[in-house]
Amino acid sequence: MKLNIEGLLVYFPYDYIYPEQYSYMLELKRTLDAKGHGVLEMPSGTGKTISLLSLIVAYQKAYPLEVTKLVYCSRTVPEIEKVVEELRKLMDYYAKQTGVKNDFLALALSSRKNLCIHPEVSSLRFGKEVDGKCHSLTASYIRAQHHSNPCQPVCQFFEEFDAVGRQVPIPPGIFNLDDLKDFGRRKGWCPYFLARYAILHANIVVYSYHYLLDPKIADLVSKELAKKSVVVFDEAHNIDNVCIDSMSVNITRRTLDRCQTNVETLQNTISRIKETDAAKLREEYMRLVEGLKEANVARETDIYLSNPVLPDEILQEAVPGSIRTAEHFVGFIKRFLEYLKARLRIHHVVQESAPQFLKDIYEKVCIDRKPLRFCAERLRSLLRTLEIADIADFSAITLISHFATLVSTYSKGNLYDYDFHQKTPTIANPVLHFSCMDPSIAIKPVFGRFQSVIITSGTLSPLDIYPRILDFRPVTMASFTMTLARTCLCPLIVGRGNDQVAMTSKFETREDFAVIRNYGNLLLEMSAIVPDGIVAFFTSYIYMENIVASWYEQGILENIQRNKLIFIETQDAAETSMALEKYQEACENGRGAILLSVARGKVSEGIDFVHHFGRAVIMFGVPYVYTQSRILKARLEYLRDQFQIRENDFLTFDAMRHAAQCVGRAIRGKTDYGLMIFADKRYARADKRGKLPRWIQEHLTDGSLNLTIDETVQLSKHFLRQMAQPFRREDQLGLSLLTLEQLQSEDMLQKIAQIAQQA
Amino acid sequence: MDEEPERAKRWEGGYERTWEVLKEDESGSLKATVDDILFQAKRKRYMFEGHGQVRLGMMRHLFVIIDSSRSMEDQDLKPNRLTSTLKLMEFFVEEYFDQNPISQIGIITTKNKRAEKLTDLAGNPKKHIAALKKAVDGTCVGEPSLYNSLNVAMQTLKHMPAHTSKEILVIFSSLTTCDPANIYELIKTLNALKIRVSVIGLSAEVRVCTILTRETGGSYNVILDESHFKELLMLHVKPPPASSSSECSLIRMGFPQHVIASISDQDAKPSFSMSHLDSTSEPGLTLGGYFCPQCRAKYTELPVECKVCGLTLVSAPHLARSFHHLFPLEAFQETPLEEYEGERFCEACQGELKDKSIFTCQACKKVFCVECDLFIHDTLHCCPGCMQTDRTS
Repeated sequence: MKLNIEGLLVYFPYDYIYPEQYSYMLELKRTLDAKGHGVLEMPSGTGKTISLLSLIVAYQKAYPLEVTKLVYCSRTVPEIEKVVEELRKLMDYYAKQTGVKNDFLALALSSRKNLCIHPEVSSLRFGKEVDGKCHSLTASYIRAQHHSNPCQPVCQFFEEFDAVGRQVPIPPGIFNLDDLKDFGRRKGWCPYFLARYAILHANIVVYSYHYLLDPKIADLVSKELAKKSVVVFDEAHNIDNVCIDSMSVNITRRTLDRCQTNVETLQNTISRIKETDAAKLREEYMRLVEGLKEANVARETDIYLSNPVLPDEILQEAVPGSIRTAEHFVGFIKRFLEYLKARLRIHHVVQESAPQFLKDIYEKVCIDRKPLRFCAERLRSLLRTLEIADIADFSAITLISHFATLVSTYSKGNLYDYDFHQKTPTIANPVLHFSCMDPSIAIKPVFGRFQSVIITSGTLSPLDIYPRILDFRPVTMASFTMTLARTCLCPLIVGRGNDQVAMTSKFETREDFAVIRNYGNLLLEMSAIVPDGIVAFFTSYIYMENIVASWYEQGILENIQRNKLIFIETQDAAETSMALEKYQEACENGRGAILLSVARGKVSEGIDFVHHFGRAVIMFGVPYVYTQSRILKARLEYLRDQFQIRENDFLTFDAMRHAAQCVGRAIRGKTDYGLMIFADKRYARADKRGKLPRWIQEHLTDGSLNLTIDETVQLSKHFLRQMAQPFRREDQLGLSLLTLEQLQSEDMLQKIAQIAQQA
Repeated sequence: MDEEPERAKRWEGGYERTWEVLKEDESGSLKATVDDILFQAKRKRYMFEGHGQVRLGMMRHLFVIIDSSRSMEDQDLKPNRLTSTLKLMEFFVEEYFDQNPISQIGIITTKNKRAEKLTDLAGNPKKHIAALKKAVDGTCVGEPSLYNSLNVAMQTLKHMPAHTSKEILVIFSSLTTCDPANIYELIKTLNALKIRVSVIGLSAEVRVCTILTRETGGSYNVILDESHFKELLMLHVKPPPASSSSECSLIRMGFPQHVIASISDQDAKPSFSMSHLDSTSEPGLTLGGYFCPQCRAKYTELPVECKVCGLTLVSAPHLARSFHHLFPLEAFQETPLEEYEGERFCEACQGELKDKSIFTCQACKKVFCVECDLFIHDTLHCCPGCMQTDRTS
């Protein structure tokens, strides 16, 4: 259908539209008009992706000079593929309606592992191996050697692409990963490099967060994206953690050992080259004297997305003399390494801030701050000069150099922490955690550079906290509810057992026998009345282990198994995916199953439990992050000092977003239905409840707070029977599903205006 | 489990929210619609049949599978699920034979991972009802097995001739099933054999039943309460539309006359009824009965399939009773009360029209209330208004 969104003609590829989609597009349009950033929360399963795509594509078509590119960031490869499929539908619809052949180029980009078509390389199993092998076939000096010595193997796909691929642009169309591979095979071009090159002139790019946020990758891939792009972060509820992870480094003794070998290799290579080809090293030296001018020029003309690892000030300076020559640099790295080793020999926990660390390193081994900052760039240059083929081997030393640069560049908001390895508490195996406290560092260049950045997800409540921790000023912040023809979600807060003992995972009472028994009874009762699949989330692995062990002793587990099979998520990924597969099989063939998993685990984040795979989600306890961790404490302190966010507010916010994520797994659309059971009396408090997304809060009546187990059972039974009644599309029409005529009616527009709640 | 005895007490089992139905709904979208949906489902029953000339599977072979697993002890139906179900089943069996006189039914129960045939396919309601009465005293243990019970039903149904409608109705209380093999294979086989499986769930929607009914073309419903249960069960009384692929053939039928002989009659010789040869409980020798026109075998009851020559024996009234399924009364047109101008009296019961909608017969333009509309379509099968005009004209 064709929609008129405040004067913009939007093609929407479906005959029906949800009211909230319309509302969402309105808000999005306003954000783009204002050329600002937006935070939008809309429940999953209400067609967020297609609304985003329809509007932004329409905007691009209407104002080709205002918005030149859409950069859509998603989290996983399947999600990326889903976005591309939606886009394909939209483009087909455009072609059908306007009769004009599609002139848009849209493509997905993923790692080499997912795109490689080289027969040998693509058969490797791990991403790192593929990257390393690919590099060893495509690096410039390898190819130069190939010229003189044809026996040197190179990747024929890359050669082919390099020869002709850049001149002939990729034709307009929609390319997902497989399409790219097919295209590559047909032409004999490398799909990975083709895609990387093509994103420069593509209208729509779909890829992973890391290509924009991780400074190491962003520098390679995304730095030339146009300023007039719209960037969308989908499923962005964890974006602050992604930012922090991309700027944090963990160093163990093993890393240092491997680094040591790297340094030795470097040293050998240098001495060898010095004998054979001294000119090359001299050339490099001259280049470094010139400084990183090139990069600086580029940044001034605003062609590049700035790399947060390398802030502007550095570029204006030349590489300091002390590390200009190759030997000096290696010596420098060695000293730095020795220093780190010495620090890791300690037997107690130390926590330092960046200036402290720098002062200490200056006093002990006379390493200045300035050369440290150039470490990463210098190493890259050296590796290039030395023609080292397989950079995968050098990951350890690269890590150390990144650490050196980060540590010296960002004195604010960072922290070192020497910690003992958790798995072997008796053996001293200290780890150096370099943690970034401030997620805004990594994302700052993104906000600064692009015209509009949209952060969207199903669970972003409370909305105002994201702009604060990411340090940006949005022009729109809105939360949308789900319009429903029937209440297909049933949030219940269970606070007491049948014996009236309060149920809570509070630290003081979590070992309490009665609490554990009540949790067990809750699961037992639910297993008897909920069909097919139940997913239960615990707050941590340890807590889950304790509870399950205790249930086993009390015989509760045995009783549950009479109703359903039990599967458990473990920290082992292979084991978990096996459990998940069997769980789904049991749900499918009517045996029924329970999946015990952990909030913040793999299951809670990436896996959807549509329809019968999750008829009920039980959240045992409030998933607070482990508050005794030093890194967390430091982060809380930082948040308080810098952003005036109280510790408690942040902790609750973090716990509730994870709880909402977990329970949100069960409802993936309007025809789906599911129970959401919050088993902790603390959920009933206003400060917790108020932080749940609005679309859940709406259905949380006073009658569903602080229930006992048997009340829960009665309510659930009633709900499940109601939901099992036949539900046809006609029942939805006009209420939660609109045709074009219905959408244009006056009172419907009024209703739609109420859907969006501005924060 | 120490919970069990506690739950048995009524006052601890939780309150029933009977008042919820009456709850007024201001947002206008939620609770009230459920009633609306139910109301529409009520009407849909015959609206569905009203679509012109649909071929109906008049000769039905139906197996009813009754779950007798542990979950049947649940007391959300009074006094418990099992008793309530069996009671309704008795009613169902009577109604079934009333409306489908040339059809047969069989009953299977499943518990403890096994399936057991309670009664074989037969056209005599008495035997089934007796079996159902006896089953009330049975215990409910273990888990049901959907696979085993479907398999038992299938073994019999697959030998039935292709022109009959082969159906299975599962009354499923448990939320799990314990199967010895992959049930999806069985569903495929059922589909190939054109056996239609319908399910009535007593607790909630189970995925495997959804698939089962969807693949085999049956219906899947979950009860809300006891009256809804009865309604759903009654939906299965009417013969379903025959699938177009089912073969069409002329069937031979015998219409035996009932011969009444008195003892005084010299020629009368007492003889055994063929259907009671193997049972010991019935009185053996009788004088009169129905004699198969083909082989002269004697039966005391109709309808029956002759054990000797395989001829279907029915009586003419039986066929006549099935007749209305073939030419059902057209559905009445529903109009809101406000739009109706004229006297607000129901043509049938003469009561005042108070509901929000009225129903008009398309043929005679007489108006009726909801209750009479249902009564006319469910029981009378002919419009009183039309009858009157027929007579006067």
